[in-house]
Amino acid sequence: MMRKPMRVDDILNNDVWDVDYEPHIRVDATKCRECEEKPCLLLCPAQCYTLAGDEVLFSYEGCLECGTCRLICPHDAIQWDYPVSGRGIHFRFS
Amino acid sequence: MKEVGYRFDVIVVGAGPAGSASAYTLAKKGFKVLLVERGRIPGSKNVFGGRVYADPLREVFDGFDDSAPIHRWVTKERISMVSGDAMTSFEFYMRKNTSFTTYLTELACWMAKKVEEVGGTVLTEITVDELVVENGKVTGIRVGDEKVSSEVVIDAEGINRLLLERAGLVPKLELRHAGLGVKEVIKLPKKEIEDLFSLKEGEGLAWLMMGDITGGLPGGAFLYTNKDSVSLGLVVMLGEAVKEVREHISRYVEALRLHPLLERYFRNGRIMEYSAHLVPEYTWPSLPHRLYADGLLVAGDAAGLLLNLGYNFRGVDYAAYSGYLAAKAVEKAHEMGGMTSENLSVYERLLEESFIVKQLRKFRNAPKMRENRRLYSTYPELLNSVMGQLFHSSYEVPKVMEAFKRARKGRVGWLDLISDLLEVVRSV
Repeated sequence: MMRKPMRVDDILNNDVWDVDYEPHIRVDATKCRECEEKPCLLLCPAQCYTLAGDEVLFSYEGCLECGTCRLICPHDAIQWDYPVSGRGIHFRFS
Repeated sequence: MKEVGYRFDVIVVGAGPAGSASAYTLAKKGFKVLLVERGRIPGSKNVFGGRVYADPLREVFDGFDDSAPIHRWVTKERISMVSGDAMTSFEFYMRKNTSFTTYLTELACWMAKKVEEVGGTVLTEITVDELVVENGKVTGIRVGDEKVSSEVVIDAEGINRLLLERAGLVPKLELRHAGLGVKEVIKLPKKEIEDLFSLKEGEGLAWLMMGDITGGLPGGAFLYTNKDSVSLGLVVMLGEAVKEVREHISRYVEALRLHPLLERYFRNGRIMEYSAHLVPEYTWPSLPHRLYADGLLVAGDAAGLLLNLGYNFRGVDYAAYSGYLAAKAVEKAHEMGGMTSENLSVYERLLEESFIVKQLRKFRNAPKMRENRRLYSTYPELLNSVMGQLFHSSYEVPKVMEAFKRARKGRVGWLDLISDLLEVVRSV
């Protein structure tokens, strides 16, 4: 298994979350439509941003809370919060 | 907003190394301390590369050597220049207990336990919504619709520092001031780690790799041996990565795991965890932003205190020690009569006098040096070309200088080479 490429989802499956009911990140999709660079697609380590046709889809559930998307978004389309008490990623071996 | 009746002397936000070091130091001195952490347990939002220098922690925490969760003492340092399937390494071995590997999540838990031992209150699963500022003074924290008051707040919330931004105290972090670290923790039998890396029991390896092993992104790769796992990952400069990343960033980490030079180590491994975190990358000598205000001090990653030399990183111990100095500043301000900005400004003086700022100043050219792209492609290639000529010539072996001249040709001009060399010597 280790010697073959793995799907990002399978790599992420080793992590533990206590997923919040409400997203802690909000993305202004109208800004994404006008965005040409879309660096979030490749640089969000958890691949929370994916492309479906021309639309950027966003899911907060697998977020590692690194904050990268907030810094790299060229159009300031991302409103980023800490998840509420105890929610979100739960690192154990990092 | 209703106010919680109990009033603390000090509220510390974030139970990472900086926050716990502050809280521990002040609780030990008899201050009423509240340490709040948004994660389920301390450390559950923390990530580091893999190694911590022990002495600064020893100075801060009593009983460090008796109970700190140390996986392996780093006895072996390996620095490798990689190009394609060729690698030139520099290795240093010395048995000494200077730095160790661990899980930062474990270490942060241990630190928070120390805070409780000396009478500090540690509350987890508390997300602070904002710093409460009244008449220009930080008077406490808001959690939901409740306010908790204190004489002073120590903000150790980490690199994303949302609370400081919301309070208008710092601007948003700039891309060029951040690195992105991504890593896999790979489970391996303890004995196998020792066999694979020729380590005795309890000994560890810190291995840093430069060159095209980072897939062309400027930065470096690392491997640290823990007790029964290895941490494998990379740190890339975010400002450059934004322009140059070609595939998903997790693929760059996977490329390390599958790399012809490395895959042999992970054959019997399985991934235990995948994590990512930002790394502060400021250019000194100026402090990144003001680290004190009326009723407020800032420590750790939120303050941007991390040293990255390219061949060595100092983050956890710098964070903890800055937290310790913030605590000292609170003590001094208390003696001077209160937590005013003026009294708390002693924190900057303490930092200036400490190894932290002295080191950051001394190595202030290191970040600029690391922007030099030739370090990541040209020089690893050149070095491996020289070594190839010296050791893979069956009949006519060139003189070293001859091999060097051949390797240099078409790769880098003499002037660039000399100025790069001078820059490296000057910077680190």
